[in-house]
Amino acid sequence: MIQVKGLSKRFTKEKGLFDLNFEVKRGEVFGYIGPNGAGKSTTIRHLMGFMKPDSGYSSIDGMDCWKNAARIQEKTGYLPGEIVFLEGMTGLGFLSLVQKMRKQESIKRRDELIERFQLDINSPIRKMSKGMKQKVGIIAAFMHAPQVLILDEPTSGLDPLMQRVFIDLILEEKQNNKTILMSSHSFQEIERTCDSAGIIKDGKLVALEDMHLLRRVQRRIFEVKVKSEDDMNHILQSSLVTEVKGDRTIHVTVQGNDQEFVQLLSRCEVQHIDTRPQDLEDIFMHYYDRREVER
Amino acid sequence: MSLPLYLTMMKSHGKMLGGFIYGAAAYIVLIIWIYPSIADMKGFNEMIAALPKGMRKLIGMENGINSLSDYIAGEFYGMLFLIILMVYVILTSTRVMARLVDQGSMAYLLATPNSRVKVAITQAAVLLTGLALIVGFTTLSGIAASEWLIDGYQLDVASFITLNLLTFLVFASIAGYCFFISSVNNDEKKALGISSGITLLFYMLNMAGKLSEKTEWMLNFSIFKWYDPVKVINNETEALWIGCALGILTFFLFMLSVVVFKKRNLPL
Repeated sequence: MIQVKGLSKRFTKEKGLFDLNFEVKRGEVFGYIGPNGAGKSTTIRHLMGFMKPDSGYSSIDGMDCWKNAARIQEKTGYLPGEIVFLEGMTGLGFLSLVQKMRKQESIKRRDELIERFQLDINSPIRKMSKGMKQKVGIIAAFMHAPQVLILDEPTSGLDPLMQRVFIDLILEEKQNNKTILMSSHSFQEIERTCDSAGIIKDGKLVALEDMHLLRRVQRRIFEVKVKSEDDMNHILQSSLVTEVKGDRTIHVTVQGNDQEFVQLLSRCEVQHIDTRPQDLEDIFMHYYDRREVER
Repeated sequence: MSLPLYLTMMKSHGKMLGGFIYGAAAYIVLIIWIYPSIADMKGFNEMIAALPKGMRKLIGMENGINSLSDYIAGEFYGMLFLIILMVYVILTSTRVMARLVDQGSMAYLLATPNSRVKVAITQAAVLLTGLALIVGFTTLSGIAASEWLIDGYQLDVASFITLNLLTFLVFASIAGYCFFISSVNNDEKKALGISSGITLLFYMLNMAGKLSEKTEWMLNFSIFKWYDPVKVINNETEALWIGCALGILTFFLFMLSVVVFKKRNLPL
């Protein structure tokens, strides 16, 4: 459904997109992950027809994204990464403008979404918080029941409850056989919704995997506090990567070998266990490093 | 053109546009209203005649004030109205394109099944409608005020309308290059800067060109060469040809803007 082939766009020597290739099949949810400035939004701009590639092409449903930009929008919903609306409008005013520009008459879906995200539609947009604006953007992207959804960091600004609502919405659309491409910083978000993911860095796609594999390479660090020195030594002697962090406290790195970790802990007296949330950059770094080594 | 977008845009520009219309219309009514007292003032024309020629040209009173038409053309069309329209055209042309791209709200407009060409044409229509409304209301106010507010002085309505049409076309051309600048720039401030820079340069060349015969050549490099209200209202220009030329220029500039906007990369 969404196809990117040899897409290149050079801004400077290092900045831009370099020979990007991936495909999202109908009914698939594709997560697009990468650190800031890696080229996620630039890719999406190409898909939306805002930018013309230097070489290569991208297409949606067989139509070239640059040449047929307007026609593609008929079946596409888009949530920009930067949410800025026209000035001097209310939420409802904006949504109805978008509907009219789409020549869409039914407001059933729109009202359903407003209800779901509990949006106060009559407040002026300039008085809205970032999360509220994000909701307006999400509704604008989903309300015409598009076949394809392109979402640039959809959950930024949403509180955890609304993130949940949003993820449910994505899963529901997935059931309806919609094709979704979403970019994100958050691995968890992608993990919960996506079938496959692409990791982009410095304008190059460094990994294109299904979710299982990514989960396997995802590295987590557990902070474990044990009761005695014996237990501590026990852990240190295991094959897991460990790091002493203080008095009977130890950091254990787990990557794909969860089973081993659990078995090891079962032989110790554990006082306290906690995961250290890793930022995405770390996960990437590690992923890239591993790749380099394998090569 | 997209009608819903056009209406929304007109509505959001309504307040500012209303201000401009009110300002221009109120001022023309005011100066027409005080005309009788100036016309009756003895020695006014002598006073004007005592000024250097360049200066007289500058304030639009080369031959003093001989009629209501001269007075309106010189005092209002030659000075204040020119500035009002310049400000309106520069501000609005920047707002309808560059600002939307700079802020990013253009992304939403283009995320609907409306092509860039359609969106750009709609925005151009908003700009030109606003200009037409200002000139239109001013024309009506001028005619109405000279009919009902003062007695014994005649306004040549036909030439007055010609003057207004030509004024519209001159500023439509200015709107044309400002719109072009606005369409190719991603930065609102930059677009505003370039547009006002060029327009002010034209204005200064126009002033300098009128000062003396030595500097007259400068006029040739200014779009205001085609805007000489006193001459127009006295039917001393080839209004029809100038009008046609300006019309074609305007059309060409807007066409070019739309084409360039269609083809360029947008950082949305």
